[in-house]
Amino acid sequence: MNRTRIAALCFASLLCLTARADETCMSPYMAKIVGQEDFVYVWTLGMVGVGDEQDKLVTVDVNPKSKSFGKVVDQVSVGGRNEAHHTGLTDDRRFLWATTLDTSRMFIFDVHTDPAKPKLVRTIDDFVKTTDGIVGPHTSYALPGRMLITGLSNNKDHGGRTAMVQYTNDGDYVSTTRMPVDGALQGAVKTGKFADGYGYDARALPRLNVLVTSSFTGWNNYMMNLGKLMADPEAMKHFGNTAVVWDLHTLQPKKIFDVPGAPLELRCAWGANHNYCFTATALTSKIWLIYLDQAGEWQAKAVADIGDASKIPLPVDISISAEDDLLWVDTWNDGKVHLYDIRDPHAPKQIFEQQIGEQLNMVSESWDGKRVYFTSSLLANWDKTASTGSDLQFFKLYAWDGKALTPQVNIDFVKEKLGSPHQMRFGAYSLYGLKPPAGQLAQQ
Amino acid sequence: MGWRVALAAAVLAASVVSHAAEHQHPAPTVLAPGYFALEFPAPVPGSYQLPPLRDAANGDVLDDAGNAKHLYDFFGDRVVLLSFIYTTCSDVNGCPLAAYVLKRVQDRAMADPNLRDQLRLVSLSFDPQHDTPAVMKQYGARLRAPEFDWVFLTGSSDAALKGTLDTYDQSVYRDESGAISHILRVMLIDKQRRVRNIYSVSFLHADTVLRDVQTLLLEAAKPAQ
Repeated sequence: MNRTRIAALCFASLLCLTARADETCMSPYMAKIVGQEDFVYVWTLGMVGVGDEQDKLVTVDVNPKSKSFGKVVDQVSVGGRNEAHHTGLTDDRRFLWATTLDTSRMFIFDVHTDPAKPKLVRTIDDFVKTTDGIVGPHTSYALPGRMLITGLSNNKDHGGRTAMVQYTNDGDYVSTTRMPVDGALQGAVKTGKFADGYGYDARALPRLNVLVTSSFTGWNNYMMNLGKLMADPEAMKHFGNTAVVWDLHTLQPKKIFDVPGAPLELRCAWGANHNYCFTATALTSKIWLIYLDQAGEWQAKAVADIGDASKIPLPVDISISAEDDLLWVDTWNDGKVHLYDIRDPHAPKQIFEQQIGEQLNMVSESWDGKRVYFTSSLLANWDKTASTGSDLQFFKLYAWDGKALTPQVNIDFVKEKLGSPHQMRFGAYSLYGLKPPAGQLAQQ
Repeated sequence: MGWRVALAAAVLAASVVSHAAEHQHPAPTVLAPGYFALEFPAPVPGSYQLPPLRDAANGDVLDDAGNAKHLYDFFGDRVVLLSFIYTTCSDVNGCPLAAYVLKRVQDRAMADPNLRDQLRLVSLSFDPQHDTPAVMKQYGARLRAPEFDWVFLTGSSDAALKGTLDTYDQSVYRDESGAISHILRVMLIDKQRRVRNIYSVSFLHADTVLRDVQTLLLEAAKPAQ
């Protein structure tokens, strides 16, 4: 298979919806790497006493043909600890945006000039001021020529009421759109008990002109020590309980659904006739389906349990396969990954489960579904600190053959003096008409 | 719209054949939503905001008679849809989609004097090596209605266009064979020369584009506050 040509074709069309599999967490507007990815960019929290203690973008070579396969080949520290969290690529995939939840700084990296060595080209330090008080930029989601940034909090009470913000791909502010809340529903239909105004993730189904958002919690909670938070009944009341369906074109909210227990990552189906998205609730351990019903109305319902909710496994990241047949679900507290058969999206069935580490947060799968990547860190003040081994803060790559996960790469991010690894994004030379440097590949 | 679907199907067939030559198991191409009826109600003009994204950049170009022009010669007096294309693009969801959608926009605008007199389509090639003014003239003749304001532009060289493409974030890559890969971008530019929307393959549809144009015209017609 000619990797370069396939990537180029998809770059031109940006509509490879029927391909075998995908980088399933990405915006449908974006160019896809449909062959072997060359790099994984890991947005990493600085840890006290570890290396330079700063947040950094870590680049791992993941091409098995490369002489540096499985090695950290680059790291760019950004100055201080900001609660590094998620990242997103622009629609042309030339720039990677890295957001932070504490200081609300956003870092823009050039990943196209030299995909092996991302370069920090812009730092946005005035997010809170520019956006009229939004705190905690989380998801950076590619729209045509611009980035949609979801907030988690605000600078008035540091609770969960927040907004979505648009920036141009260059990093210039465009607009702020408040999440619908009781008293300011903005024309949205409140279908249940809640209209909390909270935010977290965002994903689009452009064919249906739909954007879906989920809801987590505000700065007061996500910056609090987890043990202290769990023991504070008042604080525990301040988690999101909603998902919102928006008109994507006009960015106007249409329907607000009760989705109790902090619905986090959203993943929408890729199939041409698959009109639904999934999310998982952190506190109530359920998979939820947000779907278009036979009458053409958007609905939301819980469709599966994740582990034993009474033990608070704390579902975190999820990843949907391109053929909409599998859903990977990580549970942070017990460090397990669960695989669900979602061919019937209304009745997912768990078909596989495996321990990955002492804690487990992010999961990203390759375009062909054969490689699954994991990282461990959730939030600086929530991560486990009393390690029982050396399996606490890691980047891992497994091969998936449809039956078993086989370890390929395991990097201990503490031992390597890097920090706590969080969001992963893929990079490839082929996206930019480039080739690896001469001699880099052991097998040409 | 039958002939249009037939045209798209013909281009698609050519595309699939091309892919088949390259891949053992080619994935079928899915036609972009812009080729079909909109699957959702188009937004009501004036009921939503299109916040300015950036100033539309100027640049040196050639018109289809070979005259040296500036992009600003075509901005300011009308709302503009600026499309970056190259005429030999064979990806059905690339430049042919832009041509298809803009032609539909033209056809619809022709029936509405308000739109016809206030909208200009601009197609700018980023392949000046092949797309000479004469080629653009020939290309445009197949698309432009005689009475409609649709201009076809190119550059004097890759180097002359590079700055313009960069300012619009229009990434274009050539592989060793000279084949071009690019991201499909169409820009909506208001009379103040500001980019008000950007459309890519999943988002480019005549219905939504026209509603956006009408929204800008309604905005411009409002008395100053």
